[in-house]
Amino acid sequence: MSSSGAGAQPGVGQVSGSVEHLFRHESGRIVSYLTRLLGPEHIDLAEEVVQEALLKALQSWSYSGIPSNPAAWLLQVARNSALDAIRHKKVSVDKEPALVAEITAASRTPPPDAVTPDAKLRDDELRMIFMCCHPVLSPEASIALSLKTVGGFSVREIASAFLADEATIAQRLVRVKRQIRDKGLSLDLPSGFDLRRRMDSVLEVIYLMFNEGYDAHQGEDLVRQDLCFEALRLAELVAASSMGAPRVHALVALIALQTARLSARTDGFGDLVLLGQQDRSRWDQRLIGVGFHHFDRSIAGKEISPFHVEAAIAATHTQAASMEETDWPLVLGLYDQLLRLKPSPVVALNRSVAIARVHGAPAALAELDLLDHEPALKNYYLLPAVRGQLLAEAGQREPAIIAFRRALELSCNHPERRFLRRKIEQLE
Amino acid sequence: MANYFLFLYDDPSGWAKLSPEEMQKALEKYIGWSQKASNAGFLRGSHRLAEDTGKVIRGAKVTDGPYSETKEILGGYFLIEADSYDQAVERTLDHPHLEYGGTIEVRQVHPMHEQK
Repeated sequence: MSSSGAGAQPGVGQVSGSVEHLFRHESGRIVSYLTRLLGPEHIDLAEEVVQEALLKALQSWSYSGIPSNPAAWLLQVARNSALDAIRHKKVSVDKEPALVAEITAASRTPPPDAVTPDAKLRDDELRMIFMCCHPVLSPEASIALSLKTVGGFSVREIASAFLADEATIAQRLVRVKRQIRDKGLSLDLPSGFDLRRRMDSVLEVIYLMFNEGYDAHQGEDLVRQDLCFEALRLAELVAASSMGAPRVHALVALIALQTARLSARTDGFGDLVLLGQQDRSRWDQRLIGVGFHHFDRSIAGKEISPFHVEAAIAATHTQAASMEETDWPLVLGLYDQLLRLKPSPVVALNRSVAIARVHGAPAALAELDLLDHEPALKNYYLLPAVRGQLLAEAGQREPAIIAFRRALELSCNHPERRFLRRKIEQLE
Repeated sequence: MANYFLFLYDDPSGWAKLSPEEMQKALEKYIGWSQKASNAGFLRGSHRLAEDTGKVIRGAKVTDGPYSETKEILGGYFLIEADSYDQAVERTLDHPHLEYGGTIEVRQVHPMHEQK
């Protein structure tokens, strides 16, 4: 390993821009790699060793600058710490001699600009995602564990994304790791029908992770954006593998197209901007490109999943130059289809907005009345908020104010509160 | 113009709690400081010390370090140029090490060694 700080004039001039999220992503890859070698019962050790390697990097690179291959540097330091831990019997690992031989051999091969080791690491990461999303684990546990291990998020970051306290998340992680040990889950990929079932739960977890970030009712904005990007990264990883089925591409498309519009949803003051008022030049063209690329690939097969339909809705919005030029009849048709594939009151609520555009506010209000007794929407601020908006459009000032006030009583974040108050002020 | 050593002491307990993302942010700040100092032309060099505790020799007796009993560990140093202690301190005050709870000792290299 090349030790840093050995040069004649280290730390001077040779520092370059680091790769965005390098530490977070490398952490996920190396934890996955070491978990494969050590066994899933030793995730904690893998995480500990990687944390140490990152800390060493931070402390060395602060003086010497970032080395030419930072990923290889981190991998090597983490391997050495893992070997130390095994040799000092900090853990009893089955097949210890074989393991030591494998890590040692891997260390001797000069690390890698070649494609193979990189592909191998990606494979480990993929196996890790599939284990984290095993159907015997609850979706909440799967999300937390994926973020922690593959995503490189800390307990505090996960907690702030979910507006939970750290102790709750820490406990959830301890419990899910115990479940992995008790149930003997492995990093082997299933095959046949089991693979299909596992894939369902992987995609579901990624989708939930994305939604958690996108539907910002609570939590820190920045961390929540990170959730969207992490969900996108995981979905792309699965899509790029040999398991990349059309519905996986549909999920990537959906996430990319939605995330592309994320930063336009708030203005310079952090206030909420609705679709109609968004500055469409602020939409991220690179992500839109990613989205359409995967959207094209998603329609390769016969299958139409809810992801396909949601991606198509996002694509329709993205292609329109303005709210008025949006193909609303198409959007409504897609919502009808989505509601058939995935009957959910939240989908029905979103559909009502499309109804208003196509058939007018009164028709949409009639639909909303049908949702009033849905338990899932009982405390959902968007139901009264959408009603308020539609009532205002229909010229019913007083009832609109009442609806917005009702929305304010339910849980929503600060920008949403300011938005609702502004609406009320405008109507008063 | 004189040379000043900046000795950076770490408090190891402070770092352990950082997430990978926060560590990277910290690294970017440290490197940013070096870059700025280098561009401004007053950074002469820097070294990170090895992570062991070193050796202490007293008389003929060699023991394992560290030399001092404080919980802070000397992690590395920068060598900078400045007109005076005041300027050396001023150039160091925005070092991110301070923001992360570390301590920096500023020591002037003896002027007798400055003549070239």
